[in-house]
Amino acid sequence: MRIGIVCPYSFEVPGGVQNHVIDLAEALIGLGHEVSVLAPADEDSPLPPYVVSAGRSVPFPYNGSVARITFGPVSTARVRRWLARGQFDVLHVHEPFALSLSLLAVLSARGPVVATFHTAMTRSRALAAAQGVLQFVLERITARIAVSALARKVQVEHLDGGAVEIPNGVAVAKFADAEPLPGWPGPCGPGEGGTLGFLGRFTEPRKGFGVLREAFVSLAAQRPGLRLLVAGPGDVAELHEGVPEGLRDRITFLGQVSEPDKARMLRSVHLYVAPNIGGESFGMILTEAMAAGTTVVASDLDAFRRVLDGGRAGELFPTGDAVALRNTLAGLLDDPARRAELSACAREVVGAFDWPVVARRVLEVYATAIEATDGRVFDEEWIGPA
Amino acid sequence: MPGMWWVVGVVAAVVLATAYLTWIAARVDRLHVRVESAARALDAHLLRRAAAAAVLAEERYAVELYAASRIALDAEVDEREAAENDLTRQLRSSPLDPEEPAAAAVIGASRRLVLARQVHTDLVRDALFLRRRPLVRLFRMSRKHERPRYFDIDDPTLNTRPELSVG
Repeated sequence: MRIGIVCPYSFEVPGGVQNHVIDLAEALIGLGHEVSVLAPADEDSPLPPYVVSAGRSVPFPYNGSVARITFGPVSTARVRRWLARGQFDVLHVHEPFALSLSLLAVLSARGPVVATFHTAMTRSRALAAAQGVLQFVLERITARIAVSALARKVQVEHLDGGAVEIPNGVAVAKFADAEPLPGWPGPCGPGEGGTLGFLGRFTEPRKGFGVLREAFVSLAAQRPGLRLLVAGPGDVAELHEGVPEGLRDRITFLGQVSEPDKARMLRSVHLYVAPNIGGESFGMILTEAMAAGTTVVASDLDAFRRVLDGGRAGELFPTGDAVALRNTLAGLLDDPARRAELSACAREVVGAFDWPVVARRVLEVYATAIEATDGRVFDEEWIGPA
Repeated sequence: MPGMWWVVGVVAAVVLATAYLTWIAARVDRLHVRVESAARALDAHLLRRAAAAAVLAEERYAVELYAASRIALDAEVDEREAAENDLTRQLRSSPLDPEEPAAAAVIGASRRLVLARQVHTDLVRDALFLRRRPLVRLFRMSRKHERPRYFDIDDPTLNTRPELSVG
């Protein structure tokens, strides 16, 4: 099948949607389909062979943060040309309600269109905009995918329509085979040692790093050799804020890491901690840690509980409770058998999120969209060259 | 002459109005064509599920499941929704192991049915929404098309974990 995918954000900036698009495209190619991805990019930046550049992106404040997007007559012409040349069986756009390439592609497309919604925006300006325009855009989308239960709920409540929930995929092999960083995770015995990991924007309160810091400080004082490995954007001074002088050398800061380094980082810790306080719609990082075979400790948010299969595939602690987190961590670090049990179960659960599995489900949605658009009805064999 | 401008203005307004009406009419037509395609696809997936269920029932000598799938296959238009709901209930109470080929066929067919139903329902809703617009009613743009009908069945999702059965 010939598939055209539109990514609204530039690949030069790392982000969840961009990673999703790249992984999906590669999984579909791996299943034997022809894929072309249209995305904003500078002319001279290196791109994978299946990505077509739609020109430079410009910073644009959107929905409370700055997105780099491409919009305007020149982009429209490029989108049209790409669509005409590609002769796609199906067009798959991501985040079509942002002013972006995706919206342009939806408006220019004639055939079946599938749209994936990533964010769980509860009331964005785009949604509040004129209902008629919104209806016109929606009408052109044949099938909708939501990556989380929350994103799906927004679809149902605000856009008056259904969406199929297909979770974010994770490239399990990439994480499972990554080499740990040299010297990590180090020893972990009863009462001493052990390594905790945290990845993300630690300056953002919602990510809950403060909770982990409090638990770490209190546990590290009694547990010699306990280390914390942190990766993410931000600077060391902010990271060390509130940590006693003597404990600072036990926190290692990697800065922002690339995708391969992220996998290595996750393989370098005994426990991955997700202390988020709220606002996480899916918990991508949890599935990645699970794929890496690392035991996960996460706050008891709805999304996390779902990913961790109700606590079978990772330990949950009451959201925002640093004391509970400290006790959970201490217990797990002293109990290698329990850690092994959790990560074995996690590996089984994360199999359902492996990209080839997820991509097959996306292909079923493509087939359904094509059926509703040109009347062809597809059978099972068509979906995957099994 | 001021009179000329008045004429030009009217002509421009008429051209714009015509373009707008043509555009709306095209939307109405396209949506109705899609609803028909979606309905045909939905029909095909209903038949496929019922057939897969019949095969499974034969293998297992499951009398009730076999009856439900035969009734779904043979149902008249006005009895079909109830018959399909019965079949969904029967399937939910049958153990389905993705390792077993006949059960895997039922699981796969059900998953496709969920999608086909979803897309059909969305399209019917969009079409009905457009039909209610005053301009569409005034110019009777939808007169060529039959009024789309929802196919009102329960969500046919099975309780097996669908993700695990695909790989």
